Amino acid sequence: MVWATPAAWAQTAFQGAAQVNASIKAPERAAQCVACHGGAGVSQIPSIPSLAAQPKTFIENQLVLIREGLRDVPAMKGSLDGVPDAELVALAVYFSAQPAPPPAKGRVDKASLERGRELAKSALCGTCHLPQHQGRDQVPRLASQQEQFLLDVMKEYRDKPGPGRDTVMAAALYGINDAQLKDLAHFFAHSR
Amino acid sequence: MPAEMANSTLAPLAGKLTVTPASEIPLNKLKLPPGFKIEIWSTGTPGVRAMSRGESGKIYAGTRGLGRVYEISDNGKERSSRILVDKLNQPAVTMHKGSLYVMAIDKVLRYDGIEANPNAQPVDMTAAFKLPPLQHHNWKYLSFGPDGKLYVPFGAPCNICEPGAEYAQIRRYNADGSGMEVIATGVRNTVGFDWHPVTKELWFSDHGRDWMGDDTPDDELNRMPKTGLNFGFPYCHASGVADRDIKKDKPCDGVTLPVTNMGPHAAVMGVTFYTGNMFPAEYKNTMFVARKGSWNRTKKLGFDVVTVTTDAEGKSAKVSPFLTGFKDDADNSFWGRPAYMLQMPDGSMLVSDEQLGAIYRISYAKP
Repeated sequence: MVWATPAAWAQTAFQGAAQVNASIKAPERAAQCVACHGGAGVSQIPSIPSLAAQPKTFIENQLVLIREGLRDVPAMKGSLDGVPDAELVALAVYFSAQPAPPPAKGRVDKASLERGRELAKSALCGTCHLPQHQGRDQVPRLASQQEQFLLDVMKEYRDKPGPGRDTVMAAALYGINDAQLKDLAHFFAHSR
Repeated sequence: MPAEMANSTLAPLAGKLTVTPASEIPLNKLKLPPGFKIEIWSTGTPGVRAMSRGESGKIYAGTRGLGRVYEISDNGKERSSRILVDKLNQPAVTMHKGSLYVMAIDKVLRYDGIEANPNAQPVDMTAAFKLPPLQHHNWKYLSFGPDGKLYVPFGAPCNICEPGAEYAQIRRYNADGSGMEVIATGVRNTVGFDWHPVTKELWFSDHGRDWMGDDTPDDELNRMPKTGLNFGFPYCHASGVADRDIKKDKPCDGVTLPVTNMGPHAAVMGVTFYTGNMFPAEYKNTMFVARKGSWNRTKKLGFDVVTVTTDAEGKSAKVSPFLTGFKDDADNSFWGRPAYMLQMPDGSMLVSDEQLGAIYRISYAKP
């Protein structure tokens, strides 16, 4: 357990960042996840996020919040009922160790991408999500995430900051309009 | 924007929402003054924060992101816990005259007779309290004062801003939510207070702002000799530090400065005056303050419980380490985050560890 062995933290460049590890086998329950989130956690569906290369703590926290109904994800309702903490941790360990999805393949809108890049810089996204937006600890990876999902989830943070959501993140999006969120999503989805 | 902020990768530390078994808690790393002993009292309550004890000995505690309220029962040998209510938005609790009061950012519930009746259904009192909606720093700490009123903070909805009329303040209400008074303003984010056992004055901790550098401003420990005082946010921080972003002429004029600074970014949490008889006499009426530990600072600070003593006027404060060992300076790491204290009837003291979801018990025996 990471928290009980702090000395182990010093080994990675960024504490809590995801690291590819091919030796970690998929737990049985992962089959249920990949049905929607894609093989090895790389989503092929615009509204569904990739799990691959997300930080372990981030996945673990979200699984707990969704299990307990704090994050209301209609498509996942009931799917985690009664799943013990240890199984959620195993899922987090597995998906965190999978190679990151490739950047979005769709057409690049250069102007939008540049606006997104500038906004990400001025809004300080990279402070918590790290400069390459790869995420760490409880903070998700944004780079190469599904564009539609990024847009949906940022709107949710801004407009419906409910229980279980990070209040720092809600505050970070105060006053950012829909067009700007689109630019951000476009930029992150096309980031490596 | 200062370059050190644009290029920083400091971020709030990750909470842990899953259960940590006792076997994974490195209790032997903790240090206390001679004669004091610490043991694991209970585990299995992820994110546990402020605790309140009922007449029968059941303990209730809130959480933040996890949204749960726990009930912890003690059969004299071991402890067990259950989730009394969940899906709340950052709830805090307090017991008062046999009822459990629960306040979240957007909800207030009261469970009457909950200790005897585990199925007691809550009375929803939300409407009476007229809670403002913004989330950030608006998580709660709840306590009834010696005047029988319910005291609760409404934090600033930002790191630094003009907070507006409903935030950055402490309020008190009648137990039913009527009679609201704003009793202190300019309070950025207090999540811990207690009343001095002799003077009955309110003392409270307050978190200072982020992103003004590693060493400024300090968190605060404040004393409130009367209501209506202004404690400085957003213009004046700590013991007289002008804000860098929100400026005005003479920012600290009319501001009640803290009794003592508590360390930059230390995250001062629970404040508890010790009134028991188990600890040595010099601890009587001494204040214990938990410092959950810094994130907005290159080198970690806090992650401990300190004592604060003052002279009779509440001045000349002396801050001394009491419970340490949750962090390791050698590699700038930490494993636990002490958040709140609770004095037990036998004079021992419980300390909640929000990071590992555990509660520790500190006792004393003459060495």
